[in-house]
Amino acid sequence: MLHLAFALGKERLFSTRMLIMLPILLLFIPGMAWGFADPNIQLPANQIPENATETMFLSSIGIVFAGTMAAVLIAHDGISRDRTNGVLEVRLSQPMPRWRQGVVMIIGHWTSIAFPVTLLLFISMLLVGYRSDMWIPLGDAIIYVVAAMLVLLWYTVFALLASSIAREQGSAIAFSIGLWFLFTLLWVLFTTLLAALNGVAVGDTQDQGYLIFEGRLDLLSPNGVYHHLLETRLDGVERGVSALGAYIAAFVWTIVPLYLFQRRLNRLVP
Amino acid sequence: MGDDIAMQFSAIGFRHSIPKPTWYNPLKKGKGAGITHVDLAITKGEIIGLVGTNGAGKTTLLRMISGILPLEEGNVSQAGMELDVRALRSMVGFMPEQVRWSSQQTIRQTMTEFAHLRGCSVQSALDVLSLVGLRNRIDASLDSLSQGMRQRLSLAVALLGTPEILVLDEPFNGMDPVATDAFKRLLRSLADKGISIIISSHHLIELDLLADTIALLHRGQLLAHGTTESLQSSLGFEQMTELVLDKMIPESLAKTLNILDYVDAANEHRYVIESGRHDLLETLIEKKFQISTWRVVPPTLIELLCAATGLDRETIGMDVEQSSMIPLRTIGGEEE
Repeated sequence: MLHLAFALGKERLFSTRMLIMLPILLLFIPGMAWGFADPNIQLPANQIPENATETMFLSSIGIVFAGTMAAVLIAHDGISRDRTNGVLEVRLSQPMPRWRQGVVMIIGHWTSIAFPVTLLLFISMLLVGYRSDMWIPLGDAIIYVVAAMLVLLWYTVFALLASSIAREQGSAIAFSIGLWFLFTLLWVLFTTLLAALNGVAVGDTQDQGYLIFEGRLDLLSPNGVYHHLLETRLDGVERGVSALGAYIAAFVWTIVPLYLFQRRLNRLVP
Repeated sequence: MGDDIAMQFSAIGFRHSIPKPTWYNPLKKGKGAGITHVDLAITKGEIIGLVGTNGAGKTTLLRMISGILPLEEGNVSQAGMELDVRALRSMVGFMPEQVRWSSQQTIRQTMTEFAHLRGCSVQSALDVLSLVGLRNRIDASLDSLSQGMRQRLSLAVALLGTPEILVLDEPFNGMDPVATDAFKRLLRSLADKGISIIISSHHLIELDLLADTIALLHRGQLLAHGTTESLQSSLGFEQMTELVLDKMIPESLAKTLNILDYVDAANEHRYVIESGRHDLLETLIEKKFQISTWRVVPPTLIELLCAATGLDRETIGMDVEQSSMIPLRTIGGEEE
């Protein structure tokens, strides 16, 4: 099973689309880390990162924008392409149980994006240390990488799920990108709208009520949970969600899409 | 007889889900066309030709036999033991219609991948390539393969793990005549080794020559299954005689004949009549007809299908849409 997964991962890793996405990943992940590690950086509200963990937290926006997008683009046709060209029918007729084939698909697609992103994250940490002379503690670095891997896994599974539902490539990509767009860009609008409807002081980033409302609503978004995981390593962050709450949310965000994907695969008709 | 049965499908059924939106549930699905109550006994080493019009349910039935679609009704057994879907998949090799193998992956990598999925050794998977004539292209990328080679690769994948039953959906599509001939010989040699083969094909002449038995499928039902002779007899088919004459049979004589087919070609009149009219031969000779052909002709597969369904050629050809919508046999239970 692992052999198949890594063969798939290798194929995707050296695919043309990965070559196209690599410069984007380079720009967004080590590029952002380099920028935020600038000792003379001017951020809104006079925020200045006080340590490497905070710098890496700010750089996590690169994962949210480029990493997750790359995961979606890698996996969006994981099933629909095989369905279109007839190979899915051959796969589904094989004796290997479908849940194991599903695990192969998930691990294969996920590792193909997880490998370069992990590498770029380590490069980012080195860049931050080099440029600001602040080195990220090992525990924070582990949480930082694990959280990034989890958010990539969630998006990979979303994309595969969308790919299994879509009958052709166009729908698959529209579904996957739509989901990415919702959680990455529209979520702010959604949060603001709900906060306004609940009478929270929208727009006041210092308003504790708004921060707590936003923090709790973020549990419904993979990017939000990702940031909650990172915030467990930051001091003085109070957004209404405990570290345990963030871990439980991450667990739920891992289990539910995996379950849905496996359920879908068991009922899949070519 | 029982020992010769490779697999027995009893009263199997499956119906496709189709969208049936309502104003309160636009995503609602209901039961559509499919397969109902099919009983099929597959004998070891037998080549079964599956014949039916478009939409008759051939591909659905083949997918059910291959374990891709679940058996919503009925069961499958071997030597009296009921088989689960995993056992079924391990015994059946499936070659779907027109797999467009395409990627930078090589044939070697593809076979290795499917050897893992099938649970057989990589070496045995590569050995299968010799059987289908792809050994010398082992390191070619899938993108570089012609349609015929893709068909061969599909067959190679279907042959992995030495299946007991080989299920082939339109295997001759995209193959040149030489490859088709080699393919047929390969199938015959596999059948001689005890592998049962089920073929669905629109190349009816090829199928007629290759298949040991014919299964006639229409509107999701298996109407008949047997050798051409047994089908002929069970369907009450009269033997037919083809005769080619230099001039038309006079109307007075033609009225006494049951003319099944007539073609007026240049200087030739081709008739197909019911056999058993030996007196006709004498009459024609007396009347100085020049008879260039007089032979008994077996019914074609289309004629057998027409006889089994009770429909004529034109109707059966135009029956595609209805066949996928209206089951001949009443299906138990309420329509969703």
